[in-house]
Amino acid sequence: MKSYKKSLSLFQRAAKVIPCGIYGHFSPAHLVIPTAYPFFTSRAKGSHFWDVDGNEFIDYMCAYGPVVLGYCQPRVEAAARAEYARGNCVTGASPLMIELAEYMTAHIKGMDWALFAKNGGDVTNFSVMVARAATGRKKIVLIKGGYHGVQPWMQSPGHMGVMMDDHANYIRVPWNDFEAFEKVVREHRGEIAGFMATPYHHPVFQDSELPAPGYWQKIEALCRKEGIVLIIDDVRCGFRLDLAGSHNRYGFTPDLVCFCKAIANGHPISALMGRDALKNTVAETFFTGSYWFSSAPMAAALACLKELQRIKATEVLADRGKKLAEGLTQAAASHGYNLAFSGEPAMPYFRITDDETQVLHQEWCAECTMMGAYLAPHHNWFMTTSHSDKDIKKTIDIADKAFTIIKKRYGSGQGR
Amino acid sequence: MSKYSLIYLREPGRPFPGEGITMNNQEIKANLNLHAVLQNIEELTVLDREAADMVKNWDLSIRFAVRKGPRAFLNFSGGRCTYTEEPVRKPTISLYFLSHEHCNKMFDDKAAPVILKGFTRIGFLLKDFPKLTKRLEYYLKPAEGLLSDKKFLEVNTRMTLNTAVFAARDLARGERDSIMNAEQIGLGTMMIKVLPGGPAVTIDFGKNAISVKKEETSQPRCALYFKNVKIANDFFNGRIDTYSAVACGDVAIRGLALMLDSMAMILNRIPKYLS
Repeated sequence: MKSYKKSLSLFQRAAKVIPCGIYGHFSPAHLVIPTAYPFFTSRAKGSHFWDVDGNEFIDYMCAYGPVVLGYCQPRVEAAARAEYARGNCVTGASPLMIELAEYMTAHIKGMDWALFAKNGGDVTNFSVMVARAATGRKKIVLIKGGYHGVQPWMQSPGHMGVMMDDHANYIRVPWNDFEAFEKVVREHRGEIAGFMATPYHHPVFQDSELPAPGYWQKIEALCRKEGIVLIIDDVRCGFRLDLAGSHNRYGFTPDLVCFCKAIANGHPISALMGRDALKNTVAETFFTGSYWFSSAPMAAALACLKELQRIKATEVLADRGKKLAEGLTQAAASHGYNLAFSGEPAMPYFRITDDETQVLHQEWCAECTMMGAYLAPHHNWFMTTSHSDKDIKKTIDIADKAFTIIKKRYGSGQGR
Repeated sequence: MSKYSLIYLREPGRPFPGEGITMNNQEIKANLNLHAVLQNIEELTVLDREAADMVKNWDLSIRFAVRKGPRAFLNFSGGRCTYTEEPVRKPTISLYFLSHEHCNKMFDDKAAPVILKGFTRIGFLLKDFPKLTKRLEYYLKPAEGLLSDKKFLEVNTRMTLNTAVFAARDLARGERDSIMNAEQIGLGTMMIKVLPGGPAVTIDFGKNAISVKKEETSQPRCALYFKNVKIANDFFNGRIDTYSAVACGDVAIRGLALMLDSMAMILNRIPKYLS
């Protein structure tokens, strides 16, 4: 079992000068049980990271998505380093920006232009502005439980700092419910600027849900008919399911696509891509940021996207995810538990279904982490191309031991 | 009646389309006063010797009723007080408020209720009962330094915990923002417990009702544990960084954490009405 003495000491130091010690999605408070997890890391390589106490982990959270080729991938790091040496943040844009946009428009299906920002929330927010600018309408339809960032309109009403008025023009419909969207369109005809959703539904604390057959095609057809801008938030799934965009995997063409996370294997850059019809509107809609033109992340993105193509990454990710899912579900079954897998193998979500309170699942993930396989109980996991067969076998062995522990603690029943 | 300064910070905006009837600020405040604050007299008569001495010979019941609004009943018998929201047959004393605002003014010590029944108990109402509510105020609005007393801290924490869950229940029933948050909670029981041995409360989100019990449950869908009384007290009075406390293990969450996330948003709204 691991000791997190230094992590905890650093956290206590951090909490004195940083609100909640570590904020946002990295806050340990989201990890049930937080005391089972390291808070601070010292280094990372491939599919592994080491914490400040010297503990080693096989990582299935991958910085919550940005890492797809494994930590410190040599080609990506070399490209970024070279650009840093040349000058990263300079007065005037780098030609790399054009090269990256050309590469992406050549590879992402149906997209004619690209522009770059830093975070996923930058481009999801901008896409809403673009939809409104293009249509002259104000309402945006979203999916209940969908996540698009942390702007007030993206968070649930009631969260600190979020006002009811922030949500006045946002309507939420259930995932996979075309009829609900159709009803909203009927009731607000001529008022809806855009429809935004992730390629498949991957909420936290709940099973992921793939699109029902025909769902996206019906959504696309209705958006076209009603002049509604169809926006795909491919921030989390992008480059993990399909290198031509997740919309290509599910057989439809959006008007705008938002990318981030895996685009540059951990270097800070996001992208908004779109169809030609919206290009002039985007050109006239002002949106920018201090570091949006930094060229090192653009170099990293080019290297990352080329490497993903070279190694046929989406096939590798799906293969590794399937192997992990098969091994873990079998290990669970051998102890009399049902470990349900949902979502796509490249971004699997697991849940022990024998306990609706999720306590068993939380304790199982905690035990696995303390034995060296970093598993978060509330969020989908991320596979990288660097997860080896050896990593997966070791993870399954750890999982097996963790099932033994929770079985001894709780039997087959509900956790407490 | 003792003074509980009730603060509400912003006027409600227009309701969302399709949203049910929601209460205005005065209505919410009156509900919280009659339900979340008044119920603490139960614990007061058990935990505080002075209060127990006051009520030891009382044998009567009091009805509090707001016109087109909430009701609450206190029954004193055998040296104990029982609080209920269910009608008590033939209460000894019946106090009536012409409006929610009227009720709230009484809690602010700025108005007197209309006595519908119990004129022969005027002396009790003017002299004895206010002494009890002053004692309640002593615990709910502690003077500086009192919380350093271990016994006082325990009583204050228990009452604060009870006030919080009763208030959360009423907000989830009738306050626009809280109704939306409560919808995210789903069905099931949530427990809040101070370790090692309590106190504990459970709040059950059922299909048709939200109910509160001043006791623990063995199978909550979600639970919030405080390492000790001091941490619980600091939590409910906004004196700790909750996220840091969770990270350090002083506050522990188990089970369906999303339920607590939504519940926390409701709890955050209580100071807008009670302080």
